Amino acid sequence: MSEIVAGVDIGSTTAKCVVLGEDARVLGKSLNAVGVDIVRDAERALDAALAEAQIPRSEVAFITGTGYGRYKVYFGQLVVTEISCHARGASFLFPGTRLVVDIGGQDTKAIRINDAGEVVDFAMNDKCAAGTGRFLDVCANALGYEVGQIGPLSLQARHAVKVTSTCTVFAESEVTSYVSRGKDPKDILAGLHASIVNRTLSLMQRVGVEPEVTFTGGVSQNAGMVHALQHRLGRPVNVSPLSQYLGALGAALHGRERVRGGAG
Amino acid sequence: MAETSDPRPDGSGVSPSFLRDARGLQRKLVEEYYARLGSPDRSRPVAYMLVGGNLAEIVRSFGYEVVFPEIVALNCAIKHQSLDNILHAESMGYGLDVCGYVKNDLGLQDRDGRTSFGQIPRPDLLVCSFSGCYVYVKWWEALAESYGVPLFMFDVPYMREEHPRKEDIDYLVSQLWDLIHLLEKRTGRAFDMDALKGMLVESRRAEDGWVDFLRAGRLRPSPIEAYFESIFYMFPINVLRGTREAADFYGVVNEEVRARVRDRTYPLPEEKVRVLVEGVPPYTNYRTFWDFFRKWGAVSVVATYPKVGGLFDRGFRHDPARPFESIAEYSLGAYVNQSWPLRRKIIADYVREYRADAAIIHGIKSCRSFTAGQGDLRDWLNRDQGLPTLYIESDHEDPRYFAPAQIKNRMDAFFESLEQRRAVGAAGGPATA
Repeated sequence: MSEIVAGVDIGSTTAKCVVLGEDARVLGKSLNAVGVDIVRDAERALDAALAEAQIPRSEVAFITGTGYGRYKVYFGQLVVTEISCHARGASFLFPGTRLVVDIGGQDTKAIRINDAGEVVDFAMNDKCAAGTGRFLDVCANALGYEVGQIGPLSLQARHAVKVTSTCTVFAESEVTSYVSRGKDPKDILAGLHASIVNRTLSLMQRVGVEPEVTFTGGVSQNAGMVHALQHRLGRPVNVSPLSQYLGALGAALHGRERVRGGAG
Repeated sequence: MAETSDPRPDGSGVSPSFLRDARGLQRKLVEEYYARLGSPDRSRPVAYMLVGGNLAEIVRSFGYEVVFPEIVALNCAIKHQSLDNILHAESMGYGLDVCGYVKNDLGLQDRDGRTSFGQIPRPDLLVCSFSGCYVYVKWWEALAESYGVPLFMFDVPYMREEHPRKEDIDYLVSQLWDLIHLLEKRTGRAFDMDALKGMLVESRRAEDGWVDFLRAGRLRPSPIEAYFESIFYMFPINVLRGTREAADFYGVVNEEVRARVRDRTYPLPEEKVRVLVEGVPPYTNYRTFWDFFRKWGAVSVVATYPKVGGLFDRGFRHDPARPFESIAEYSLGAYVNQSWPLRRKIIADYVREYRADAAIIHGIKSCRSFTAGQGDLRDWLNRDQGLPTLYIESDHEDPRYFAPAQIKNRMDAFFESLEQRRAVGAAGGPATA
């Protein structure tokens, strides 16, 4: 029987899929925006990853769904929360990881894990989107930038401003206020990144800050956030080009264990 | 970890074969109570009172009907009627942060007290029996001003030691006499000690029966749902305590529990996780919340919320031989009147006695007197006691604070991680990818 498996992560803003080969190598991956038809988005994510892997769907032995839309991955055989999946994915890429920080579109999570990549404790932001990817989207928009530009720009700041509000709506007002006072947008961006890190640090402290931290989720691709987090912790954190896919990767790994007869 | 279909073993909520005679009788008692309150022929005056540390027996001995606005409010919430009352109260000027009980009550009364389960009468007397929450004190003051009726404020010292001090008991007993003088003046009736003692006999009988029910959660598997099912059976002990109906009710309940053990009828086909639950339930989404447990085979074997009306399972009983002293001890012993070190001790004892595998804390935005400190409790249980503990938050009255996807996600992840760790433990070591 084939041991090719796939993990499909339907998040609040994007759908990700990872296809793993028999040797647990990533054969294909995909990322697309989530719209109103989540079932179709899940299908599209899988099809795109399979296309990249050049593998027909019939060869996939097991599919696992994760993320908020996990129950819409109708073609899968298993659902696992993204908390367990990010834990497993982070542990797979960085086996020394004991704390995972996942910042996605609308959620921030701090997940403490053991040496087997299993969740020991976790904490999440409240149900508002303060300090998440959506927060950065709104603030980037208020400054007239694309979200992909703001991380590198924040690294050029000279005198980061203090952004006191962690509410997405109020922070936008605060940004507008700084702009009207003639502050350099780069300094404002650095302040915004620092404010997210402060909020995230509170979650991390709730579960316990561990020596080896892995940063996952879409926001981990923002160089400004990585810098701000490392600066606040005073040490490097693990980041990979695959960090945004770690939920899908972890889901695929859970499926792989099922195929191999483990607990999953 | 769940299979894809997100299964619900036998539909939403609980199976009809599990809740039988006792649930039917509880419904009947509730209906009769509200029918009595709303009856145009009602001749008895009405006293409003709070559940914690309440003085129901004394007030009833003067012929009063007792209304508990908190219980009316939770009935509104579970029947999805609280939001209209809350919105009405907000339109009257009460802010978003004001307690949901308060806003439900004030909104309801301003809308003439009509609910789907009965007409809630206006009070003739207000007895603020729990003064540990300042919001409650202000609520009762607002009611007194609105209705123009007397307000009796019962000042109950906060408990920082396990056993009440003599001076505290004396202080409360002196206030009980003040209440009796007020009641004599209001009703023109003389205080009847025999009537009070007779009620305390029934109270004690109900308390014995209620404790027998709660302690059934110590069995493995538990034949009861100590959080979700207790919510039904709290009504007689909280609202009808001191009556024969309430005492008899627990006889029926316990007979049913014995039958469950005999017939091996349990809350779930398989008890996978034994959970301690702390905090006030999200009444607006009560069945949805229950389903989040059931899906994972999680049974609540012990809970703190059913103790808000009295910590009877910790040994307290109303005592007809010491009527005033025992009522004073009861009022001091209300669960939310205990300091956090005392609450922690109670919870740690419960974990041991009921062999809980995990704890779920449900904090509510409305109530700081119940909820403040629960974050620290979570950390203490997790780190110091080694008990996996999840903290989630919504509200008991206001459905706008219940975010099903987020709560479900947290609970799924929590139970999933428990399941994984157990699988690893059973396999004798960590699984490998």
